[in-house]
Amino acid sequence: MNFELTEEQQLIGQSARDFAKEYLEPIAVELDHTGDFPKKAVNALAKHDFLGLLIPGDLGGAEAGFVSYVEVIENLSRYCAAVASIVNNHTIAAYAIQNWGTAEQKKKYLPGMAKGEILGGFAIFEHGPTPGVGADALVAIKQDVGYVLNGKKAFVRNAGEAGVYVVFATTDPALGAKALTAFLVEADAIGVKVGEKLETMGLKGCPVADITFENVVIPETAVLGAVNEGTAISAKALAVASVAEAAQTVGIGQAAVEHAAAYAKQRVQFGKPVATLQAIQTLLAEVATDCHLARLGLQNAALLIEEGKPFEVEAAMIKSFLVRLGSKMLLDTCQVEGGFGYSEFMPLPRMFRDIAGTNLLDAPGDFPEKLIAASIA
Amino acid sequence: MPKCLVCYKWTLDEQDIKVKPEDLSLDSSRAKGKISDFDRNAIEEAALLVEKNGGAVDALSYGTASVKQSLKDALSRGPEKAYWIADASAETADASVTAMVLAAAIRKIGQYDLILCGEGSSDLFNQQTAPRLAALLDMPCLSFVNKLSLDGDTVTATRKLEDCEEVVTVKTPVVIGVLSEINKPRIPSLKQVLGAAKKPNEEIRIADLGLKPEDIQPKAVRKSVKGFVMHRKNVIFKESSAADRVAKLKASLASEGLC
Amino acid sequence: MSILSPEQQAIKQAAKDFVAKNIIPFAAQYDKSCEFHPYLLEASKESKIFAMAVPKEYGGLDYDALTQALVLEEWGYGCAGMGTTLAASVLSMDSVLVAGNDDQKRRFFTPMLNAEIGSFGLTEPGAGSDAGAGKTTAIKVGDEYILNGTKCWITNGSFAKVYVIYALTDPAAGMKGISAFIVERGLPGFTIGTVDHKLGIRSSNTVELLLKDVHIPATSLLGKEGEGMKIAMKTLDMARPAIAALSVGLAQRALDECVKHVQKTFVGKTYPGQTLQFKLADMQILVDAARNSLHEAMHLRDAGLPYSKESAISKTFCSDVAMQVTTTAVSLMGSYGYTSELGKFMRDSKIMQIYEGTNQIQRLVISRAVLAPPPAAAAQKAGK
Repeated sequence: MNFELTEEQQLIGQSARDFAKEYLEPIAVELDHTGDFPKKAVNALAKHDFLGLLIPGDLGGAEAGFVSYVEVIENLSRYCAAVASIVNNHTIAAYAIQNWGTAEQKKKYLPGMAKGEILGGFAIFEHGPTPGVGADALVAIKQDVGYVLNGKKAFVRNAGEAGVYVVFATTDPALGAKALTAFLVEADAIGVKVGEKLETMGLKGCPVADITFENVVIPETAVLGAVNEGTAISAKALAVASVAEAAQTVGIGQAAVEHAAAYAKQRVQFGKPVATLQAIQTLLAEVATDCHLARLGLQNAALLIEEGKPFEVEAAMIKSFLVRLGSKMLLDTCQVEGGFGYSEFMPLPRMFRDIAGTNLLDAPGDFPEKLIAASIA
Repeated sequence: MPKCLVCYKWTLDEQDIKVKPEDLSLDSSRAKGKISDFDRNAIEEAALLVEKNGGAVDALSYGTASVKQSLKDALSRGPEKAYWIADASAETADASVTAMVLAAAIRKIGQYDLILCGEGSSDLFNQQTAPRLAALLDMPCLSFVNKLSLDGDTVTATRKLEDCEEVVTVKTPVVIGVLSEINKPRIPSLKQVLGAAKKPNEEIRIADLGLKPEDIQPKAVRKSVKGFVMHRKNVIFKESSAADRVAKLKASLASEGLC
Repeated sequence: MSILSPEQQAIKQAAKDFVAKNIIPFAAQYDKSCEFHPYLLEASKESKIFAMAVPKEYGGLDYDALTQALVLEEWGYGCAGMGTTLAASVLSMDSVLVAGNDDQKRRFFTPMLNAEIGSFGLTEPGAGSDAGAGKTTAIKVGDEYILNGTKCWITNGSFAKVYVIYALTDPAAGMKGISAFIVERGLPGFTIGTVDHKLGIRSSNTVELLLKDVHIPATSLLGKEGEGMKIAMKTLDMARPAIAALSVGLAQRALDECVKHVQKTFVGKTYPGQTLQFKLADMQILVDAARNSLHEAMHLRDAGLPYSKESAISKTFCSDVAMQVTTTAVSLMGSYGYTSELGKFMRDSKIMQIYEGTNQIQRLVISRAVLAPPPAAAAQKAGK
């Protein structure tokens, strides 16, 4: 069993690291203050093929594997997790089109997405506990013109910047989630109303908003995958997304523990650097350990995705691990830096706010443990 | 349409090397490899020249077995083909050995209009490879180059010397040593990284170079490599007023002959 | 929670009402604008809450320790930042309570009857956990002291009327040369430096204090020269539970908001599954246990019994609970958690584990007590 990345994967990771240092490090603080969409950085990402990483070569992508992808995300996240979020949400949309799209759909969107001309968004969540269920659920009624969408999607990332959204709606409110269907909806379709940008705790720069659909008419050719296949599609796509997000958590955690360790080596209290104190050593060691184990876990899941093998359980496991221990990486490193770890003039508070956004449950009550338990019991 | 060759060295990333405090020996066990910094500039410069003037770039490296790990990295940055010599002799090679091996390899591979390398390597920084190579190949040598252009078979280079900058012209073929300020190496795109696997590489065996045993015997033998640690004196002046503290500091520096 | 007397219940309810009217509606606003707004002091004048720890003979409310904790829990529930304003003012006042003479007490306490606040100036850039490493000096000249130095992360610095500043009267003696002083706002040479922008408790004012040749009368010395660290440690012992109280309020609030959201999400026939139910139960277990540990410490203090260990335990446990509960709340509520006030509660919690003695320092205090030989063995050892 080889735990080493291939040369390509290492080089891709290094490219991403160098890219992040050059293009993201200088904007990270300002981006966190303004929350303005970082158009220049996103264009630069496109030029370096990061937005089309998974997309096949004949559609303009780099056709690299998922392990390379998480290497990129981890390295981008070390410097600016918000931009990594933009890439993640875009890539999950492209992944959905790539895996369930018809040849026409793929040809229509993927080349533009690879070039960064079209940004992707993934609209699955609603304010109710289950998509497709409840008063505000997004409903798609079949008519002779195609489908008409009415309802609301909640907390859509890249909202307002995406050119195409992968949207999940129920074709039969009585059946709810059982009739969930995936659609490709273009941002400029009439009736698509992106709500006000929501105030997020961190990852500022990756816009999040609700989207209301008012009599949005889409052709039948906009159905992604099969009718009523939506729940299966979203489950798989979200599983992939959780591995991608885990790479963000690990990237942020790694950057934080390196910063805290460097701080501890030079901060002198009681006549010695605080790095000599067991209390500090324990905090740093636990974070480094959790980060290392999480990285191994997510790389394993990423390899399964890349090889087309079943991966949902491993993806749920890494999510479960990081829901419990992800934010702890920043709780502990901020503790190491004490007052300096609480001052927004230093980098850790921003990382604290960012990492909390990478280990959220998809919805209250939607625990990854359910799938894990089902696989063993 | 110039034919360029870049000679590069695969070194250890000095960031990963730790100095053992007990005896100042170096722990390189966790150090990853990298293309020597100035050599990266050389590869970039050759790539830029070829983008402007047409032609092609090859890469050549002489190192230990680990040199094989460098090939995709080098090929993702512009060269079309990489030649490599992996031999244990590289571990102890000094500048004379390195130049001998590279010159012999170049004679075997073929003719080049420009041969570039970094002014010095990021580990030893002997700054001897370019001049020695030029002498062995009987070519002119331009060192300390921070600006380069090509017009037909005429190379124009700016050399940054200690107290002035000198602009020189020379006809190809020529050996050139470049400084880091000559360019900022671009970050390879993903397609370039993935494309490297499709480019050819060729091993050259040191036994096929027709060298005598004494040619690969280092003339300068490295006895030891130790880390350098700065020792702090940790003197604290505790006088109550700032004026008194300054006076004490001044006296202390004067006693050491520093002011 | 303890069984409260009718008087304590009334005070708790009054604090609850005050917070509902004056703090909760404005907390998010001042968190966003990152500022302390003196409207809070204006609104507090009537209740004299900033004098809650001032003894009766000086016109204060003279609340016992448990009652103070009840008030602070309510303020923590409303906004940990505004709660910090109150807690830090009481902290500064505790130093004067410990070491001040009658005249000094009158000087310091009187402004608080009118919702003027105090500020505790111990920390310096090189003296955080190592509080005794401070470099600020107070050199005696005639019947004055002249103060020079920089204090940082000082709560209420921009708005306080009175400050307790710790400085070296004998620089060569290190920690044993530190003394405590009362300093009033507006003295020449006493200025406010950088205002810190923080991860949380953003509605609390945190600043640098710059002292350049500040002249204060010798009568401003609290206690005796060289007693500074002793006074500071006694003060922090008294004030630790305030942070515990803020933490309990903060944790309870996060839990309550979580529950509200769950009830809104799972309407009608749907009901949250066991996993979610148990997570909420675990949060309540922790909050209740935290509150109980705090109240135990307060009972001991009010009974005049030693409570140093329990004080440290309550500060540590309550702040750790707040951190855990607020972190779980954000993750549990998904994107709603990340875009709502639940984020603020998580940000506010972190400082509770750091200020007024980091939880690592607290554990030193606790472990010393845990590892100390039992009294009989200690006496025997001493007898030798």
